Amino acid sequence: MTVYSIIFYLLALLILGSTAMAITRRNMVHAVIYLIFSFFGSAMIFYLFGAPFLAVLEVIIYAGAIMVLFLFIVIMMKLKPGQERLFPLNQWVPAALCGIVYIAIGLGLVISEPGSRITLKTAQADPGLFGQYIFGKHWLSIEIVSLLLLVALIGALLLGRRSKKVPAAKASEGEL
Amino acid sequence: MIVPFGHVLLLAGLLFLMGMVCMVVRRSLIMILLGVEIMLNAAAIILVGSSLLWQQLEGQSIVLFVFAIAGAEVSVGLALIVWAHRQTGSVDPRDFNRLK
Amino acid sequence: MIAALTQDSTLLATILATMLPFVAFLVIMVFARNHRGLSAGLSIGAIMVSLLGAVFLLTRHWQLEVPIQYLGRWLVSGDIHIPFGFLLDQPSLLMLTIVATISFLVQIYSLGYMAGDAGFSRYYAFMSLFAWAMMNLTLAPTMVQLYIFWELVGLSSYLLIGFWYEKFSATEAGKKAFVMTRFGDVAFFLGLLLALVNLGNLNILEMNSPQVTERMSPLLITIASLLIFGGIVGKSAQFPLLTWLPDAMEGPTPVSALLHSATMVAAGVYLFGRLFPFFSHSATAMAVFLAIGTISMLLASTMAMVSRDIKQVWAYSTISQLGFMIMGLAAGSYFSGMFHLTTHAGFKALLFLCAGVFIHVFETNDVFEIGRRGGRRLKVPMICTVIGAAALAGLPPFSGFFSKELILAALADLKNPLWLVAGLLGVFFTAYYTFRLIFIILRPEDILDETGIHHDHGHGSYWLMGWPLILLAAITAVLGFFEGTLEDFFKAQQFIPTTGGGHHSWLSFAALGTAGAGVVLAWIEYGRRSATRIGFAERIAPLNNLFAERWYIDRFYRRFLDVFIYGMVSRGFANNDNKVIDGGIDGLSRGTVATGRFTSVLHLGMIQYRLLTIFVVIVLLALYFFF
Repeated sequence: MTVYSIIFYLLALLILGSTAMAITRRNMVHAVIYLIFSFFGSAMIFYLFGAPFLAVLEVIIYAGAIMVLFLFIVIMMKLKPGQERLFPLNQWVPAALCGIVYIAIGLGLVISEPGSRITLKTAQADPGLFGQYIFGKHWLSIEIVSLLLLVALIGALLLGRRSKKVPAAKASEGEL
Repeated sequence: MIVPFGHVLLLAGLLFLMGMVCMVVRRSLIMILLGVEIMLNAAAIILVGSSLLWQQLEGQSIVLFVFAIAGAEVSVGLALIVWAHRQTGSVDPRDFNRLK
Repeated sequence: MIAALTQDSTLLATILATMLPFVAFLVIMVFARNHRGLSAGLSIGAIMVSLLGAVFLLTRHWQLEVPIQYLGRWLVSGDIHIPFGFLLDQPSLLMLTIVATISFLVQIYSLGYMAGDAGFSRYYAFMSLFAWAMMNLTLAPTMVQLYIFWELVGLSSYLLIGFWYEKFSATEAGKKAFVMTRFGDVAFFLGLLLALVNLGNLNILEMNSPQVTERMSPLLITIASLLIFGGIVGKSAQFPLLTWLPDAMEGPTPVSALLHSATMVAAGVYLFGRLFPFFSHSATAMAVFLAIGTISMLLASTMAMVSRDIKQVWAYSTISQLGFMIMGLAAGSYFSGMFHLTTHAGFKALLFLCAGVFIHVFETNDVFEIGRRGGRRLKVPMICTVIGAAALAGLPPFSGFFSKELILAALADLKNPLWLVAGLLGVFFTAYYTFRLIFIILRPEDILDETGIHHDHGHGSYWLMGWPLILLAAITAVLGFFEGTLEDFFKAQQFIPTTGGGHHSWLSFAALGTAGAGVVLAWIEYGRRSATRIGFAERIAPLNNLFAERWYIDRFYRRFLDVFIYGMVSRGFANNDNKVIDGGIDGLSRGTVATGRFTSVLHLGMIQYRLLTIFVVIVLLALYFFF
């Protein structure tokens, strides 16, 4: 039981706990905040697993940008908390069944696979080396992803435009 | 020496399950998207863990792209939700049941 | 076969005797429904030929040693071989003659009784049907054929009891008769099946042979006998299936005379006689039969003691006398039962026909009414009734005296004196209720001075109704003296275990004494000038009610039916029909609709169901790959 494993278990507890809280909150803002905690936890796990660059990226992009975007939308749409019915039965029961089977299979897979008993050794990926590796080997993927981001940008812009024009234009926008 | 890889797998598996449950059970479009985010996060954990297992950088690079794609997807998704909310006035997925 | 027919006069006579009434039935029903004269003529002609044929057969084969059988190939299935045909031996010849004679006389009588009735042709058609069925029953060589004609006789009884079908009580009575006898017939058939399984065929001669004990264990013989006796209980209206016979008096009186006194109900006793060797193999069964016969006899006598309806009195009397016959047979004496059967047929038909005259003239069944309106003024019926009653009560020199003597002798031979006491008690009761009725008619309280009560049938119909009465009365008077000849006739029959009857000289005095005591009691209560006209049974109100309500047997049946059959069984089946069968089919249709709706849910809309489907498939794939 090294220090690292203790840290790992604590972090795992944090992640699982806050995610559980996040998915069971009626208030959307609360759910997002809990999820931010969870992402902080996984960022620290990334650091523990020797990916500091990714840890930082997680905090910046995931917790910082994406969750904040969620908060913006929640606040903007003036969603009233407490409207939806929590845990509707006809959705919850099949999900629970599926989940139980999933856990069973998961456990089965993990236990039966000999490779899962290999203990992880500590290592560290230097961000500079990491950057060189990526731009060296996966430069094409970088380009494609940036194109993707461009497309997403344009799409979000178009979708979010509020039409003040005549109904014909509104109908055309609705088809988008 | 950190932990056996199996534990990492289990953690990520549970996280994925929670994300799936959130996606399927909650009656709000935003929560569906949130579930997607959780699932992506779980996948990222696995990838980083396995890159550590094999001491290679491939896993981490995939995670980079995962982040980027997650960002793009969230933005478009939220824009769609906003648009849908404007059209029908609610975010309950049952109200989008137009294929009756 | 035609050559064989013309050469063998016995066969020819048999076929003519048995088949002609059926031909008459068919012709009447199809062609002659509207021609009264023609239908009556056809029917009476057919029965006359039957009578001649029967008499011919009887005289020709008086010295019969070996039974004559004519068998034709009918049912062949593997090992089971059941022919149809005719069996001529002593009991069948005698019974055939009885049936033919009484049918003939009753049909002549009906010319007068049923004249003017709307269903005249139908009546004669059914009479012919009955005659055919009954005669074939007597001549049946196998139990299967006997059973078939047994049922046919039941059918014609149903048709004739409910003859005036516009009357609700008549149709109810017909239905009751049929259902009750049918109930007994179920047991009968089970017994036959038991015998068939063990013996391989149901030939009567084979069933009576001593080899039966080798093939069937005593227990099986007992069970089969008891079951077959069930049919006898039903048909001969013994305890507990006796309540249909009093209700069967709804039919026309000639029908009661023919069917329900002389022939059809006697078919049960005839069957007993037929299978007498078979039944005697089992002492247990005979004991049970004896008990049932005794109970029926006593029960019915008590019921007759308080009845006001003339036909009901004779109906109860029939049940009682049939019980008496069964007692005689079950006690082991074959001839006593058969002889009493013969004599009873004669005097009971006589009594019924006389009652019919009274009913026809006075249009009432009530005895007191008949007496009050001057019943005693009709000479011929009155005298004949007295003769018949004397025979029934067992007074010499009439036939009833001789046959009752024989039965009492058989009872005296038994070890247990209880049976003899019961028999004597029965004789006492019989004499009492018979002469109660006689004295009510003969010595009424006051006679209404109605002279103009004769209907406008004219004397022609009375002549028609009168001659059968006189003939029957003559037979009743004389038949007793033929006891010796008949006994010789029966001695030659095979397989009848002979009973060494001890001579009890005191017996005739005992019998005579009890009968006389009954007559005297009836005289005291009804016949004297200062008679109270209330019987000793009628004085005691609970007894009166008990007897009048037929010992509450009917009530019990009604209760049983309502609670068990209608309440539980019918309701169970109705529920099953509604809920299970209909419900099942409805459920099937509903299930189909619901399945469609469920499947449509998968097909259409909600986002999260589709997402769930995705995850379920992922899990299943994982499952697949894992294994």
